[in-house]
Amino acid sequence: MSIVVRLDHLTKQYLKAPRPAVSNMSFEIPEGAVFGLLGPNGAGKSTTVMMLCGLMRPDSGTVSVLGLDMQEHGAEVRKKIGVAPQEIALFPTLTAHENLVYFGRMYGLKKDEIKRQIEKYLSVFNLREKAHKQVGTFSGGMKKRLNLIAALLHQPRLVILDEPTAGVDVQSRNMILDFLTDLKAEGTSIIYSSHVLEEAERICTHLGIIDEGTVLQTGTRGHVMAQHPDCQNLEQLFLKLTGKNIRD
Amino acid sequence: MKILSTLYKEFLLLARDPGGMALIFIMPLALVVVMALVQDAPFRDYQEIKLEVLFVDADADSLSAKIKQAFAASPNVSLVMEKDSIVAKKRVQAGDFKAAIIIPQNTSAALRNKTRQLITTVFADFGLPAQADSTPLPGVDLKILFDPAIKANYKQSLSGAVEKIIANVQTAWVLDELQSQLGEGKPAPPKRDFKLTEIVRVSTQYASENKFQGLMLNSVQHNVPAWTMFAMFFILYPLAGNFIKEREEGSMLRLRLISGSQFPVIAGKFSFYFLVCLTQFVMMIAVGIFVMPWLGLSKLALGGDALNIFITACAVAMAATGYGVLIGVYFKTAQQALSFGSVSVVILSAIGGVWVPVYVMPEILQSLSRFSPMSWGLESFNDLFLRQASIGVILPNVLKLVAFALVTLLASVVIHKSRTVV
Repeated sequence: MSIVVRLDHLTKQYLKAPRPAVSNMSFEIPEGAVFGLLGPNGAGKSTTVMMLCGLMRPDSGTVSVLGLDMQEHGAEVRKKIGVAPQEIALFPTLTAHENLVYFGRMYGLKKDEIKRQIEKYLSVFNLREKAHKQVGTFSGGMKKRLNLIAALLHQPRLVILDEPTAGVDVQSRNMILDFLTDLKAEGTSIIYSSHVLEEAERICTHLGIIDEGTVLQTGTRGHVMAQHPDCQNLEQLFLKLTGKNIRD
Repeated sequence: MKILSTLYKEFLLLARDPGGMALIFIMPLALVVVMALVQDAPFRDYQEIKLEVLFVDADADSLSAKIKQAFAASPNVSLVMEKDSIVAKKRVQAGDFKAAIIIPQNTSAALRNKTRQLITTVFADFGLPAQADSTPLPGVDLKILFDPAIKANYKQSLSGAVEKIIANVQTAWVLDELQSQLGEGKPAPPKRDFKLTEIVRVSTQYASENKFQGLMLNSVQHNVPAWTMFAMFFILYPLAGNFIKEREEGSMLRLRLISGSQFPVIAGKFSFYFLVCLTQFVMMIAVGIFVMPWLGLSKLALGGDALNIFITACAVAMAATGYGVLIGVYFKTAQQALSFGSVSVVILSAIGGVWVPVYVMPEILQSLSRFSPMSWGLESFNDLFLRQASIGVILPNVLKLVAFALVTLLASVVIHKSRTVV
């Protein structure tokens, strides 16, 4: 199985920060995996995701995505990955359809392909009837679903999702998780950054638990759980590794 | 295609933003109309205003008759008769009248005597038969009272006009006296009426082409292009605001994640707002041509070649849009961008001659105005509208505007890219 993401001794420290946000972090993600990037607040998840997407340059270490070094081939890599950021990265006064057409064109897709992809995903995410309504009028769940569609239009080989179910209702969350399971079945690799451990338990094949910028445990879900036989579930394992102190 | 898509997206965003539409299209139109109306009087500089001036004629002789006769023909001054000089002073003090001309008793006689004494003294100096009287005669004391609130140039004009009338009267009387002295003891020659004002005729005209004669800087000619440029530069408000809003809302983040979208995003925004600026230009010029006369102001005259006007408008639109993009890219919050942006536009417009023409500014501001893109634009429009300049004349300013646009755009792309991706 080939490797889609390789982080090698990655370090990033923000200006005036007392310690690095990410410190000497290394892990690999095999193709076709759903990799749960888990950690408490301030663990370094967002910084890691930013470096994975090429939005931030590491102080040291390398990021390799789909076999290409991110620093050298960032533009090429971004054509092959889809990112659904935690915030709703859409234009609220455009309709769902207008948003998707615009992002499709910016991805460089052809008109027919955009049309086909939009129809497909609006149906999958049950947004067809709302296609011509302005996004600003959507509920939180609808916005999150549309946000996810915008990351998938160009059929990326790797999808990076940052808290894709934060603030959505149970139905929308269930729909998103079902979809991600299907997407994985089609062979797409997924990086899933979340706080919701039961979701990670449900869809992730691989886990990376991080805290204070370092990797505490990584590997397949079975392998990680097997390392801690005293933990009944992922939540117990997470608390065991990261502690019970409140993080703000 | 990506640029066109961004352009269309910007169109949809603006079309669904009534506040932005009002800011871009309605406010500038209101601004240009109000400013042209407000500045109409100062620009006319009292030339077309008929001012009433009190006239106290205690002389009731030929000099006061000449003054009345001269002002009766003036389109700018109308004399209002007043008998009492104390009352006249009080009325001017109260601001009821801007000025009062007081001709004391026997002024004509005194002037005539002075003239006669002058001629006889000259004759005596040359040994000609004349009885020179060396007794000092009292001076002629004609008064003009001014309201302290009067404009300096009006005060100067009125004094000048009175002095000119007196000088003419005195010259006529000198000639009369000469004729009289030289003809003493001989049969009186026929009285000649010398047309003094026809000896040297001064004709004034503007150095413009014949068909644009009479076209000069007035409130409309100044305010329409000036405030049009101000509005075009104020495009930074919606443009930078939109840029930062997209960044805050997250849509810019997605675009940053799409490979090869950085240039099209900036180019698309630039193209759209460039077109908006040109639309503003056309609308405001149309207001100058069609609405201003309807409001009782002069009609905007486009003296220059249409292509040259279009080239200048494009250069101003490019500079304004480039500046807006730079502000939007550079500042991180809307508050910073919009505060800095709007204040900087006001400063650039002030030193650029939008509020008042550059030539009436202090020297230091006139020097600073050379660095304002609005000054480059306004100079070009004045060259075109009033002086019917050729492309060669406006080219330096047009090139400065284009260079300004390119520098701001290049800086925007560099800053945007440096903050965007690995």
